Amino acid sequence: MGRRKKIVQECEKLMDSPEQIRNIAIAAHVDHGKTTLSDNLLAGAGMISDDTAGQQLAMDTEEDEQERGITIDAANVSMTHEYEGENHLINLIDTPGHVDFGGDVTRAMRAVDGALVVVDAVEGAMPQTETVLRQALREGVKPTLFINKVDRLINELQEGPEEMQQRLMDVIGDVNELIRGMTEEMEDIENDWRVSVDEGTVAFGSALYKWGVSIPSMEETGISFGDIIEMENNDQRQELHEQTPLSDVVLDMVAEHFPNPLQAQPFRVPRIWRGDDESDIAEDMRTVNKEGDIVFMATDIGMDPHAGEIVTGRVFSGTLKKGQELFVSGTAGKNRIQSVGIYMGGEREELDRGVPAGNIAAVTGLKDAIAGSTVSDVEMTPFESIEHISEPVITKSVEATNMDDLPKLIQTLQQVAKEDPTIRVEINEDTGEHLISGQGELHLEVITQRIRKNQGIPVTTGEPIVVFREQPQEASREVEGVSPNRHNKFYITVEPMAESIVDDIRLGEISMDMPELERREALQEAGMDKDTSQNVEHIHGTNILIDDTKGIQHLNETMELVIEGLEDALDDGPLAAEPVQGALLRLHDARLHEDTIHRGPAQVIPAVRDAVHRSLIDAEVRLLEPIQDVRIDVPNEYMGDASGEIQGRRGRVDDMYQEGDLMVIEGIAPVEEMIGFSSDIRSATEGRASWNTENAGFRVMADNLQREQIMDIRERKGMKLELPPSIDYI
Amino acid sequence: MLTFIGLGLYDERSVTVEGRDALRAADRVFAEFYTSRLVGASVAELESHHGVDIEVRDRAGVERDPETILEAAETDEVAFLTAGDTMISTTHVDLRVRAAERGVDTRVVHGVTAQSAASSLTGLQNYRFGKAVTLPFPYAHGADGVPASVVDGVEANRERGLHTLVYLDIKVAGSSPAGPQAGEDDEFMTADEAAGMLADDWDPDALGVVVARAGSPDPVVAADALSALADREFGGPLHTLVVPGDLHHLEAEALERLAGCPAALLPDE
Ligand SMILES: Nc1nc2c(ncn2[C@@H]2O[C@H](COP(=O)(O)OP(=O)(O)OP(=O)(O)O)[C@@H](O)[C@H]2O)c(=O)[nH]1
Ligand SMILES: [Mg+2]
Repeated sequence: MGRRKKIVQECEKLMDSPEQIRNIAIAAHVDHGKTTLSDNLLAGAGMISDDTAGQQLAMDTEEDEQERGITIDAANVSMTHEYEGENHLINLIDTPGHVDFGGDVTRAMRAVDGALVVVDAVEGAMPQTETVLRQALREGVKPTLFINKVDRLINELQEGPEEMQQRLMDVIGDVNELIRGMTEEMEDIENDWRVSVDEGTVAFGSALYKWGVSIPSMEETGISFGDIIEMENNDQRQELHEQTPLSDVVLDMVAEHFPNPLQAQPFRVPRIWRGDDESDIAEDMRTVNKEGDIVFMATDIGMDPHAGEIVTGRVFSGTLKKGQELFVSGTAGKNRIQSVGIYMGGEREELDRGVPAGNIAAVTGLKDAIAGSTVSDVEMTPFESIEHISEPVITKSVEATNMDDLPKLIQTLQQVAKEDPTIRVEINEDTGEHLISGQGELHLEVITQRIRKNQGIPVTTGEPIVVFREQPQEASREVEGVSPNRHNKFYITVEPMAESIVDDIRLGEISMDMPELERREALQEAGMDKDTSQNVEHIHGTNILIDDTKGIQHLNETMELVIEGLEDALDDGPLAAEPVQGALLRLHDARLHEDTIHRGPAQVIPAVRDAVHRSLIDAEVRLLEPIQDVRIDVPNEYMGDASGEIQGRRGRVDDMYQEGDLMVIEGIAPVEEMIGFSSDIRSATEGRASWNTENAGFRVMADNLQREQIMDIRERKGMKLELPPSIDYI
Repeated sequence: MLTFIGLGLYDERSVTVEGRDALRAADRVFAEFYTSRLVGASVAELESHHGVDIEVRDRAGVERDPETILEAAETDEVAFLTAGDTMISTTHVDLRVRAAERGVDTRVVHGVTAQSAASSLTGLQNYRFGKAVTLPFPYAHGADGVPASVVDGVEANRERGLHTLVYLDIKVAGSSPAGPQAGEDDEFMTADEAAGMLADDWDPDALGVVVARAGSPDPVVAADALSALADREFGGPLHTLVVPGDLHHLEAEALERLAGCPAALLPDE
């Protein structure tokens, strides 16, 4: 029997015993060694050769991942590990570290119960370390810590045992400070989720040289930090690996300290599902009942050249099997499952027996599913949608070089949008110039390169441009919107919405999908007064419509059209047709024609659209641009040049401090100015700086820049180069 | 001077003599056919019959940009035409008010409307009609089936024993908010379609009276249960539907004799 076959059989045996399953993700700042660590675990489980592990980067299966040396797509694998005489099935997801692909991390966290957070010992906790921790904790996923690249402390920094321990303790302290801050307000996390060396929730090692230690492993093997330093210095890495292999240390930690699905689901399900907790389905999910109703949460959509679309996700209850006809939330009708399997490295292994509750499954045939869909055999309340915090900030136009490729390009773009919810695609069949908006330059570059290479469609792309927003700055007076036939009138005001409410909408914690009572409570908690929270009629983007009218005949019948007009107005704001955000709109009164025909779409939509725009103008709507947090690590002598690179970009330096022998500069800058930053900072610091950027939302542009920017956008979009005279405040 | 002229029910000959004279005497003639249409005559036929040029305005050209019409009326004799009557159900009072605001004199030449035809052809007395409603195409009001306000209107009338005239939606090609669509045709809701919608969403057993092609040489009037009307066909447009309230004895007789109403659906004498 082949080795692979044997591993599959072992996995199959364990699938039905939730106590022996661990679903985990490896997450970290970019380049901290997640994929190298995954190699170690795969080798430990006998799935790749021990010799190539550490360099093979087996989970980076895509060609562009290998070329660029970074992970782009989250990758799944199942393996087994024996710990304390009991075998365990470990379903693992290796996630990308680059900010632009953070959406994959967000989605992976929905599928798992434990997050193995990796931190580079030299760099310490970095901006993405914080982000991935937040993504994990939000989903109720428990963290443990692996401090990687300890070999560099010994070889590059020549640290002795004391210095080294001090540095490691500092890293742990930083990580724990983050965990404490994030879990403080989470009432459902009863135990302390901070990591601890003594308890064994921290391990150290070198993924490159494949050795690792933890307190339990030291007790077992007797190998101390002193021994490690000596063996590293004496070129005894192979022996070190053999005596205290990283894979054992980490997989033992996984088996011992991460919750199994029986422990995790009762705790996680209430966080991500708002259905009736007394129902049978709730009970099935709590008990991980493989005989129960089927509940599957799709967390990832991928494309296989042979099998077509593959949906990956977590089975919360029941057993997924080929041939089942299942509901997909948000769509009508059912999908028929064509195959079910698990991941063995880059490939899938189809299992006719199906995949039971508590596991991560790969499914084909769910053609209507998107990442975030709830798939079930009975109709049920869907899971909370998976919201990625960062919205797309940068846009590129894509055009097929050959007209003949147009249909194929459109199809590909639609697939791209389905696979990656953190990008937005706007298809324009008239001009053939389609727009892709994503998280950053790299994100867009990877997508367009994949369209060219994988799909073989030659495309030309435009220069990257940033995405803007429009936002009211003060409360407007009441504005009257009149329908073209003058028989209908709408009275509307707009005011800026509290930041806290906007944030909660963005995180999906306030939405129209949730039961009304819960929504009211959430709104009040976020600072909305009680009366207002009771009159919420609609949420669009991060804008809310309040219906403050009383007893107007026929209004409920007209509301759909009011909402349509409102959405039109908010999607294309009055300044530059950019999306409006953070607006609280109130409908105070309406006069309607007696007959439906005279208050139809042709009347109501333009009346409302116009009223919303004029109220926004009265509220001094302004243009917002996306900004980024910037962190630069640089040797002292280049500090001035480096901080100049931020300041010269309409940016602001907020902090400068020493960390080790490097200076850290922290600040913010507009995304637009950051285009081309990489090469500038490289030349300004002769390649000695390392830097990180992270999208940090939108900021109102300075008044003296507004008009020019608005006109630029209007010109680009072929709009009139004239603002309504009422916009006299810009 | 702005003269509002109702063209009447069916074709180029349905206009009153007074209307015809006023229309032929005008310097400029505007018309709109998005609220209703003459089924029996095209614009070209109207033009050649009356020997005038007609400038057809779309919805935006009347509602949003009435300037052209009003400006012309300041100096010239201008006629504004619609099917039926220019003020009944077509709601052009707005244009008349705007003209008055500018000091332009206005005049109305009445036309025969569906409302009077429904009463005359069915024998249902005009004294006994309540408020009228329009049944829109489902896609036109953003929801499925019959809007609540239509059902409410019919029921409120019936509570008071009154009949309801149900206008049926028409969609004139090129009049959608998005402008003319390729391959688009005029769409008329038929009485069987309307009876079917009301039967499904309201009351299949209620009595309905169909009036088809009023004002044409071959009008049809038919009374039956809504569910039964839904299965019949009444030929070309335009159609309207009446949902009767309590029937006066002569009204009942008229429905039986003139509209073929099954006796079982009529009140016992
Ligand atoms: N010296 C040393 N280098 C390491 C170690 N682990 C990883 N590296 C190197 O760090 C670089 C990044 O490793 P990856 O495993 O690709 O890092 P990653 O976290 O998966 O990166 P992304 O997925 O792109 O975020 C590679 O050049 C590795 O060889 C280690 O323990 N010691
Ligand atoms: Mg990686």
